[in-house]
Amino acid sequence: MITAEQKPLEEIIAYIEPYDRIFLVGCNECVTVCAAGGRKEVGLLASALRLNSMKQGKTIEIKEITLERQCDPEYVEELASDINRTDAVLSMACGCGVQTLAGRYKEMPIFPAVNTLFMGASESQGIWAERCRGCGDCLLGITGGICPVARCSKSLFNGPCGGTCSGKCEISPEVDCAWCLIWERLKALGMEKRYEELMEAKDWRPSGGGGPRKIVRKDLVL
Amino acid sequence: MMLRKKLTQGEFAVLVELNIPKGVDISELVTHVRHLKSRIDAVVIPDMDGGVMRMSALGGGAVIRREGFEPVIHIYGRDRNRMAIQGDVLAAQALGIQNLIVVQGDAMANSDHPAAKTVDDLNELDLLSMVQSLQKGLDLAGFDLKGKPAFFTGCQVQPIRDDKHLLEEYEKAKEKIAAGAQFIVVPPVFDIPAYTQILNKFKSLKVPVIATVFMLKNVGMARYISINDPGSGLSDELIGRIRKAKDRETECVHIAAEMIRSLKGVAQGVKISAVGWEDRLPAILDCAGL
Repeated sequence: MITAEQKPLEEIIAYIEPYDRIFLVGCNECVTVCAAGGRKEVGLLASALRLNSMKQGKTIEIKEITLERQCDPEYVEELASDINRTDAVLSMACGCGVQTLAGRYKEMPIFPAVNTLFMGASESQGIWAERCRGCGDCLLGITGGICPVARCSKSLFNGPCGGTCSGKCEISPEVDCAWCLIWERLKALGMEKRYEELMEAKDWRPSGGGGPRKIVRKDLVL
Repeated sequence: MMLRKKLTQGEFAVLVELNIPKGVDISELVTHVRHLKSRIDAVVIPDMDGGVMRMSALGGGAVIRREGFEPVIHIYGRDRNRMAIQGDVLAAQALGIQNLIVVQGDAMANSDHPAAKTVDDLNELDLLSMVQSLQKGLDLAGFDLKGKPAFFTGCQVQPIRDDKHLLEEYEKAKEKIAAGAQFIVVPPVFDIPAYTQILNKFKSLKVPVIATVFMLKNVGMARYISINDPGSGLSDELIGRIRKAKDRETECVHIAAEMIRSLKGVAQGVKISAVGWEDRLPAILDCAGL
């Protein structure tokens, strides 16, 4: 999933300070799972913003809504009937959702209430870790299902650097060395030979080197 | 530091742009530059010009310096992060390179190494601020330097498409000057009255403005520029002049020389891009009376 964290309240307040009527829009997908911008967080942020405006002696009208998927034009359309009764939109979705709103409601100021962080997975309750950089040319089939692009601090492709120590990365004892994980996994799978095969310098074009990426599935296009 | 002195004293400066080799054979480069001895003020060395991997501008600048010329090297952010660029800029100074032009790199997708990873850690304004910081004796992390560099740093504007674009580039140039740029290099326009108007606009920013004279080498090249760069002001008349000439190469040399002469009273200097015809540079200078 795409992970996110709520922005500092002061930053959000600064964005909406000039406005009286705010549409606070959450998303029912990734940001709900990582507890950054789902229905619950929309409610909590709305309360915090109302409280702040009361402290400032100001009246603010906040309309709360959580869309099924903010990165999908179909669901974003739900705002159309009420958008003219607001001065600005505060989105709690990832950057994809914010931009979908901005693309659809061009006259309306749209502000992000979260920082989009990474594509990650849940390690345990309340902990999410980066797992994928979307490099567009997946190597997991040859690295034992562990990504050296996302999980090695130097994104190395042919084994660990000299900074690896007892399975940990030189940047922090909290960070696993991706190449130790890869080696252990390949060993467990009896695929040690894969480790010996040298990978060539990566082609970064599928990673965005050729400009913003787009998928066109002709079989699905209407 | 003749270039800085000339430009700041309002004298006309002649710069030539030389491409460095894709390889280690510098014999042609050295031969070309030796023929320009005492005739030019500085040699501009682009970095990975046209998105082609070649010897770095830093290396090329050192070679040119060794030959007794004043190099001006391009720096840009596409291929190097802030650590690498700061290191190169410090190395440049230690090797006797005192002039920089901050430019925008071509998209990696259009380079001859399209699979390479784009860095783009610092943009043009960041790079200009970086030079300012280094000159104050601090790196971008705020650490002290042992010895401060002193550069004469310019910026470059993009080819002007139309009046609206001219205003946009003017605003950007203003920002670049505020960030530390001390001179501006303007891309070539083949229509002198139109070019004069553009150069005058940038001159209002009160820093030296250098015009570019781009060597037209044949009819095909002229046509290509005329079709693909509508802001170039390259007229059918000019194309016709090359086409009708008995000796087209000599005519191209004359056209470049005429442009230099025409720009002498307009710009503070010219940068001549010979694009492969570096051996004709002495003839162009002769013809231009330089």
